[in-house]
Amino acid sequence: MAISPDRAFGCDLPGRQLPGLLVLLAVFVLPGCATYSVGIAKVEHETSNRNLSAAFKSLDELKLTGADRMLYYLNKGILLRFQGDYAASNLQFESAKRLLEHLNAISVTEQTGSVVVNDTVKAYEGTGNEQYLIYAFKELNYLQSGNVDDAAVEARQFDIKQRLTAEKDPSAAYLSGAFVRYLNGMVYEEAGESDSARIDYSKAVDGYKAQSSITGLGVPADLKSDLDRLEGPRPRSNSIRAQKPAGAARQSTDAPDNGEVVFILQDGLGPTLAESIVRIVNPDPQNGAVILSVAVPRFIQRPVPVTRFELSGGSASASSELVDDVNAIARKSLEDRLPAITARAVARMVLKNAMARKIKNQNRDNESGGMLLSIVTDVGAIVSERADTRSWSLLPGNILMARLALPPGKHDLKVTYYNHAGNVLAVRDYDAVSVVAGRKVFVSDYYLGNSTTAKIPVVGVP
Amino acid sequence: MAMNNRGWIMSAAVVAVLILGSCSTEVKRIDVNQVRDISGTWNDTDSRLVSEEMIRDSLSAGWINRYSLSLRKAPVVIIGKIRNLSQEHINTNTFVNDLERAFVNSGRVDVVASSSERGDIRDERADMDLNAAEVTRKEMGKEAGADYMLMGTINTIIDASGSEQIRFYQVDLTLVSLADNRIVWTGQKKLKKDIKNAKFR
Repeated sequence: MAISPDRAFGCDLPGRQLPGLLVLLAVFVLPGCATYSVGIAKVEHETSNRNLSAAFKSLDELKLTGADRMLYYLNKGILLRFQGDYAASNLQFESAKRLLEHLNAISVTEQTGSVVVNDTVKAYEGTGNEQYLIYAFKELNYLQSGNVDDAAVEARQFDIKQRLTAEKDPSAAYLSGAFVRYLNGMVYEEAGESDSARIDYSKAVDGYKAQSSITGLGVPADLKSDLDRLEGPRPRSNSIRAQKPAGAARQSTDAPDNGEVVFILQDGLGPTLAESIVRIVNPDPQNGAVILSVAVPRFIQRPVPVTRFELSGGSASASSELVDDVNAIARKSLEDRLPAITARAVARMVLKNAMARKIKNQNRDNESGGMLLSIVTDVGAIVSERADTRSWSLLPGNILMARLALPPGKHDLKVTYYNHAGNVLAVRDYDAVSVVAGRKVFVSDYYLGNSTTAKIPVVGVP
Repeated sequence: MAMNNRGWIMSAAVVAVLILGSCSTEVKRIDVNQVRDISGTWNDTDSRLVSEEMIRDSLSAGWINRYSLSLRKAPVVIIGKIRNLSQEHINTNTFVNDLERAFVNSGRVDVVASSSERGDIRDERADMDLNAAEVTRKEMGKEAGADYMLMGTINTIIDASGSEQIRFYQVDLTLVSLADNRIVWTGQKKLKKDIKNAKFR
């Protein structure tokens, strides 16, 4: 025997009232759900001001639970990393990875919810590149804690991750994880696994080439040098000869007794998503919702404050290279996802209109109550239509890297950040950085500038 | 018959207890030898299988007898580094400690403190120099030197596609003579798992 929806709730609601009550519930519940990108702005602002304790507090106040739990882990992981608490940061990133494994399985409830209500009911999994960067930050956290073997474990895990992503979406060649591969190569070298390092350097070169039409980036000169060095005196026919620009970091091949400082800057805030809503007046409002709405996310790129930086120690210096254009990859990723997002939004509009028509038809005889229910239905259809504007907000817009070969010993380092006009934005000093012969030491910083001043408008086209 | 107020309160209390009871954390003691695979990654069962194999193999191999017969004393072993070359963060201490315990309890192999443990012991000995009574004081420079170092690696090969994975683990342990770098014992344990993740949740 089929169970009618109203009986399924264990009560005797008249069939015509249940859809109305659901819509009423949506009216009261959903207006409280401001888009994620608006809610996270305070966290971004505090982080930009390097007021991390306030940023932690603001993040906790957002109460990112349920479908948004992943965003809590990711943003908290970054904040802890900025604070230099690498072990705690990795705990958050590990939680994110475990959640990701769980979310690999399809939830029928969430899939249905995304068609009936909106995309925000689906648990946030992160985009492909966001998922890759979890591995990169975990590796860096381990490296900066002096734990090379655990960093190598992450590098090996990434290899499987990237392979599975490529298998799932073979057309997305830009999801090559070039930067993570580059980092993996350095990790493997530190772990003494030169064959693995060579393979990952080689994949990184291929990855940068695959991304170049989107990012406009070439292969970093230091990476080319690494690959050539490991391929030996007779490089393979498809290898790239290093064309090292003046000022680029010297490699350990230049002076075998040197060590190397690898400085990584998380530059600016990555993109955010805003909501674009298209609202159309229904030409036949008596047989459906008065207003038909479709909401989709829109890409907002925020300014990246540091164009380049200079790393110096004593008389030696090195210029930064752009190693990951997070903004460009995120833009392309949204472009690829947008057709499916739009199709779901249109399907929702049709479904909500059909529900509104049914409710109105069923309540035509009930004058006062019917009118109230019609209004509630119309408002419910409008307010429940929200775009999914969630993203890993504290990701950088770019990642810059400089590598400086130095003799063993303690070195006072100076890092100078420049904007696009060549003006100095900030100077950071790192005292007594210990350099060991033949080894790399990893140092990192973040500079978010005033990028959170970018407005996040909600575009409504009535 | 209409239920009185007291009846309603009692019913509500029972329902509340039933609902809230299911929200509390549940802890249940289980046997340490019980096999429970949850995620498919390295777990206590894998560690136990490795330690059982390594203990059996290392104590039955000929290296102990060869050493004891020729030098008329028990060989001294120090625990070196077990390198994790796998795709997982694996705590190697669990099976290494099992092996160490088996060596010591067998009475046939002596084990000395590892390099990471020695610091604390030396600190204590230095402290004794200042604070302990002379008859109980332990002198510096009388540590037992090891004859062999236990070293090893954990390697994995993972073949994954979609929601299925084959995970292959290989744990290799070796005992290397500190006098001349000869390998006197190698132990190996291989484990293979077929993991199918749920397609729906």
